[in-house]
Amino acid sequence: MSQADIGITAEPIDEHRCKFMVSQPVHAGGVRRFAAPEEATGSPLAEAIFAIPGLAVSELIVSGNIVTVVKQSAAPWQAVGKAIGGAIRSALASGAPAVAAAPKPSAAAGSAVDDDALYERVAKLFDEQVNPMVARHGGRVELIDVQDAVVMLRMGGGCQGCGMADVTLRQGIEGMLAQFIPEVRGIVDITDHTSGANPYFQAAKK
Amino acid sequence: MPRLLLLLPSTTYRTAAFVAAARQIGAELTVASEQPSTLESANPAGLLTLDLQNPGHAADQAHDFARRHPIAAVVGVDDDTAVVAAHVAERLRLKGNPVPAAIAARDKHRQRELLAAAAVPIPRFALHLLDKDPRELAPTVVYPCVLKPLRLSASRGVIRADNPASFVAAHERLRAIVAGCDTAFLVEEFVPGYEVALEGLLVNRRLHVLALFDKPDPLDGPFFEETIYVTPSRVPAGLQAAIVQCAERAARALGLVEGPIHAELRYNERGPWLIELAARPIGGRCSAALRFGEGDVSLEELILRQALGMPIPSLQRERQAAGVMMIPIPGAGTLREVRGIPEAKAVPLVEDVQITAHSGERLVPFPEGSRYPGFIFARGDTPAVVEAALREAHRRLAFVLT
Repeated sequence: MSQADIGITAEPIDEHRCKFMVSQPVHAGGVRRFAAPEEATGSPLAEAIFAIPGLAVSELIVSGNIVTVVKQSAAPWQAVGKAIGGAIRSALASGAPAVAAAPKPSAAAGSAVDDDALYERVAKLFDEQVNPMVARHGGRVELIDVQDAVVMLRMGGGCQGCGMADVTLRQGIEGMLAQFIPEVRGIVDITDHTSGANPYFQAAKK
Repeated sequence: MPRLLLLLPSTTYRTAAFVAAARQIGAELTVASEQPSTLESANPAGLLTLDLQNPGHAADQAHDFARRHPIAAVVGVDDDTAVVAAHVAERLRLKGNPVPAAIAARDKHRQRELLAAAAVPIPRFALHLLDKDPRELAPTVVYPCVLKPLRLSASRGVIRADNPASFVAAHERLRAIVAGCDTAFLVEEFVPGYEVALEGLLVNRRLHVLALFDKPDPLDGPFFEETIYVTPSRVPAGLQAAIVQCAERAARALGLVEGPIHAELRYNERGPWLIELAARPIGGRCSAALRFGEGDVSLEELILRQALGMPIPSLQRERQAAGVMMIPIPGAGTLREVRGIPEAKAVPLVEDVQITAHSGERLVPFPEGSRYPGFIFARGDTPAVVEAALREAHRRLAFVLT
């Protein structure tokens, strides 16, 4: 496969976090998270992204065809996106697995909350239950990350800026997580609700 | 924990603040709205659809729901749901306002009848049918006067007329605004003076004043778009006492006994005048200007605690002065961009600038519109510095309309 065949769309979440949607699977073996360059050894895609000069990557999450990059540098995503896209394309075009399988958890870590496993379960819940429901109002809920069993999500479409978004979040999604994935400790909504261009319910004074 | 039924219409700004307060106090929460939540089937105890346009029916629905999930308190968050809450409270025998009192607070004409009967100082008023020829009415009116719809909120449709010609013009605009909603309107004497807003909590008929806000921008018409609220009030103490007494008499005259009230009053050389009183808390996102106790208790938390009969740590507002600006509607058009938000937030004492209008939204000025494009919040040592900070932050904002 040539690099030119690989399409990538960058979707900045905020100044530190950006999702890259790739036109083909990057890692089919569930979610893999890299929190430091040492953890990237053996995964060419992760090694290449951590090695981009001046980017100061602090976390990389790869799942399916999505690569989420968390950086500490102040460089705008427009300036660094091309280098990240190049790293993704190179790794995929080589033909070798871009991301190695996740190492088996050690016995000592067996009792700790496994964020990667939670990520997969939450993503499944969002895909199969939450999103089909909120889609009826033109909305969608996107899983951004799971850290220390806290779910970070972003609302879009009719949910973004919706007057009832907090009800959807707290009375709906949080309740579903408590019911189906009780290990989740909390939810953080990182949605910029002021940018919602088409909220399903719009507030008015009094 | 006891279950709270929170009546949140889908168009309210109050959702986040009330939901956060319910979580803060650990209440089991059921949110009821007039539109079904897409997730209602996933949490049938926490999400409910009620016929909020028909309070009696909504009370029946709430009664059915309460058989499965017993309810300890019901709270409405705006003018309409305050009436529904009264019906539900009566049906479920919960603490709340009597239904006639809640209706009187909602209906501007009924309110004025009761206030006049109780000799509460209010502007002279008269009810007229909207389909009556305004050219016949105009010569009978005392000027300046104010035309008011009976049920709209946020000063929408409220227009001052200074002479018969402007009365006829105002009547035409009002009739278009309330088309299909009302058949009558009020004509009220225009009372000149300085306007204040009183935020209060009724506990077993006793009014506790939570805040008295000054409205430093004159509200002389022809339309009555609100801008700045600043508390504590700079009105002399003796006059403040008279204002509070006036609001207390008004609440009693309407028969309100429990929960929040928001009153608009004016004062002039003849003393205080009650302009409006509503059985609900302050609207929009303005409640974020209020904190109580050590600054960690919200207005919504006080309201929910009182409804649930939970201890209230303090009804005393924090020591700092606080203010909010409802950002004036910058004109008619489609909002494309708001510039200067970081610069506005950088103004000392400004705590937040919340733009609630979204890009592509059509902005409609008063009196036809009433949706403010956003809110600015500030805190400081004195009301004067807070007011100055709000004005400076607003000056730095630029709304791009097409």
